[in-house]
Amino acid sequence: MMDIKRVISTIEKNYIKNNLKKEERIDGRGLWDYRDFNIKTNTIASAEGSSEVTLGDTKIITGIKYEIGEPFPDLPNKGVCTIMAELLPLASPLFERGPPDEESIELARVVDRGIRHADCIQAEKLCIKEEKCVYILFVDMYVINHGGNMIDCGSVSALSALISSHIPEGKWMENGPEWTGEYITGKDIIKDLPLAITFGKIDNILFLDPSLPEELVSEGRITMSVTEDEITSIQKSGAATYTLDEIKMLGEKSFEIAEKLRKELNFWQYSTNKK
Amino acid sequence: MTLLIQDEYPKKLLRDDGKRLDGRGKTDLRPIKMEVDVIKNADGSAYIEWGNNKIYASVYGPREVHPHHLAKPDRGILRVFYRMATFSVFERKRPAPGRREKEISMVISECLEPVLFLELYPGTSFEIFIEVVDADGGTRCASTTVAALALADAGIPMRSLVTSCAVGKIEGQLITDLSGIEDKAGESDMPCAISWFNDEISLLQFDGKMNRAELDESLNMVRNAMEKIYEMQLDTLKQKYIQIQEQNEG
Repeated sequence: MMDIKRVISTIEKNYIKNNLKKEERIDGRGLWDYRDFNIKTNTIASAEGSSEVTLGDTKIITGIKYEIGEPFPDLPNKGVCTIMAELLPLASPLFERGPPDEESIELARVVDRGIRHADCIQAEKLCIKEEKCVYILFVDMYVINHGGNMIDCGSVSALSALISSHIPEGKWMENGPEWTGEYITGKDIIKDLPLAITFGKIDNILFLDPSLPEELVSEGRITMSVTEDEITSIQKSGAATYTLDEIKMLGEKSFEIAEKLRKELNFWQYSTNKK
Repeated sequence: MTLLIQDEYPKKLLRDDGKRLDGRGKTDLRPIKMEVDVIKNADGSAYIEWGNNKIYASVYGPREVHPHHLAKPDRGILRVFYRMATFSVFERKRPAPGRREKEISMVISECLEPVLFLELYPGTSFEIFIEVVDADGGTRCASTTVAALALADAGIPMRSLVTSCAVGKIEGQLITDLSGIEDKAGESDMPCAISWFNDEISLLQFDGKMNRAELDESLNMVRNAMEKIYEMQLDTLKQKYIQIQEQNEG
């Protein structure tokens, strides 16, 4: 059983640092390698789309639910999508009960911004009647085990849940929206595949996908969400600082890594054909 | 508001051949799958798939009590937090814990407490977190069963395991292990749990209507069902150690 504390022993800290200087990681990975992703979709019968994603020891379950509501006045023909994250106290002794804390809000917001600014979701397809009736999609992420780098795991989890989604299709009738008997599926609403790519920094050494012990040692991390040709969000967190050249280099690396990951994970295989 | 309205409750919960809507006989359980040690960070953890229910439980403890004033100088405390994911039900559940979740947390906690030796751990707490990620009737029974497994997986001394199952009545007939639809459209529901060290009932709730003879009969039915589930719990725990043994020998 792993004993996790907020602090990590000096000896383990030095071990991680010294290995990184030799470009080695404690789990045997190279500096620019991901741990293995494992994706299962449509595992939750009650949800309109769901995924169960593990990245190394990190495990996140995401479910999609929808409601019908009024659009925002300034976006009369666009549906709404909200992303929420819960760091369950079940998942780690580091997580506490209670209303969402900074960490879970950051996780939800970084994943949300990555997806939103990519125009990943075609919000106009989530409109039933202009100014009157649109879909409100809820993408809720639940962290089941925390093994480091929840952001990348969450972004893959949110994306695969959205792709697997099947939402009853509505038509505007005289006295309100009615179900047509068909479904809107992930293929209809998802255009781009934005991925969050997170790097850790320890003693001026940058590396991909920090595991939990590495996260506890590192001075900070930086997340870049990228689509095929654009950066859609960046989040620097922690006390680490970066030179301009480092940021440029990470920008380039993100595209390279995201492209490889997109090929490897082959997201479209998770789309449903429910009609 | 959603576009689909949950199907109206079926008029008949028993088919013409006397079987239930999902094809089960009156005393048949839904398929149950259990696993322990599924959450690495926890001191003990377990997962259960019981029909369409999917539930994780993890245990932390004995550990320091937060907030501190809840600590008892002469014994440890047990706290259970039963929660449902927003997407586990037909209409999205609000993320904040509701009254139902708090009540279920309480009954599960009271049902597990007698099997622990809390008097040996003064000033500490044991915490059980239960997360229902998919729900289809009988979540409190499945949660109790999986929480007991997680406690055992954590290696916390226990007098025995605890097992839980429900009985109820549909169309005047007593049935074991109600599904979601049978629970909502049926006539009564009685979740029970048993602690095996003293062979006594440690969780009992009932709503609906039944007569004295039916009460006797349902208690017999639920005990038989719980015996079957108890065997599965024991097998799941043994399986973990068999695996460890095989790994060491291999």
